[in-house]
Amino acid sequence: MRPVAISVDPPEVSRSLANKAGYTFPILSDPDAAVIRQYHLLHLAGSPDGHDIARPAEFLVDSSRVVRWTNFTEDIRVRARADDMLASARQLR
Amino acid sequence: MPNPAGHRRNLAPWWGLLFAIGAIGCHGAFFLSSPLQGALPWLSLSLAVLALIFLVAGLWRALGQPQVYRGKALSVVLSVIAVLAIGLTAFAFVSARKLPSSIAAPQVGQRIPDFSLSDTSGKRLSLGQLLAASPGSPAPKAVLLIFYRGYW
Repeated sequence: MRPVAISVDPPEVSRSLANKAGYTFPILSDPDAAVIRQYHLLHLAGSPDGHDIARPAEFLVDSSRVVRWTNFTEDIRVRARADDMLASARQLR
Repeated sequence: MPNPAGHRRNLAPWWGLLFAIGAIGCHGAFFLSSPLQGALPWLSLSLAVLALIFLVAGLWRALGQPQVYRGKALSVVLSVIAVLAIGLTAFAFVSARKLPSSIAAPQVGQRIPDFSLSDTSGKRLSLGQLLAASPGSPAPKAVLLIFYRGYW
């Protein structure tokens, strides 16, 4: 299973996040929120300074691009737990 | 503390503050396991209500029956602190849940459209590429797409 993170942050900001946190998985930039909008995950004026951002969401997508597991939090402080994500990936055969 | 007038101690504001701290603590324990997540806001709310009842009782005693109870200033100070703390916590609770609905988002079983976005080095990567084998690593069984609010 390959984790991929997506936000509206430009690549430079994502790079500093990856450097600081030591992430080695791909972090993708969607500065115009095109994909975020396409997936209906846009949070209008959601950032502290009022920019449009993505609402937190996690999807497990199989090799034929079919969604196999999702997690949509209702509270920005509560995100998918690593255990749950790994368990969902293990169930794929 | 000396108590020459023979006044009784007014412990209600202290209980109020204690329940307020409990309410805030429950609110802060959001990282606990998921089954508790649903119960915590209710526990928090109940403790906040208890806190307010004790604070009102404390103020009633201190201000309404000054000949029986002491601690007029203290009960006012404790009440203001507790109510401010509960108010801020309630505000944080409401703002953390101001999220748009996910009803229209892709659901389990749906095939999602491909996309192509820049990675941290500015290189374009498509979902198809992410699902395919790359030099040095076999094709993953799945890709976990993590949409996040951003880094600030």
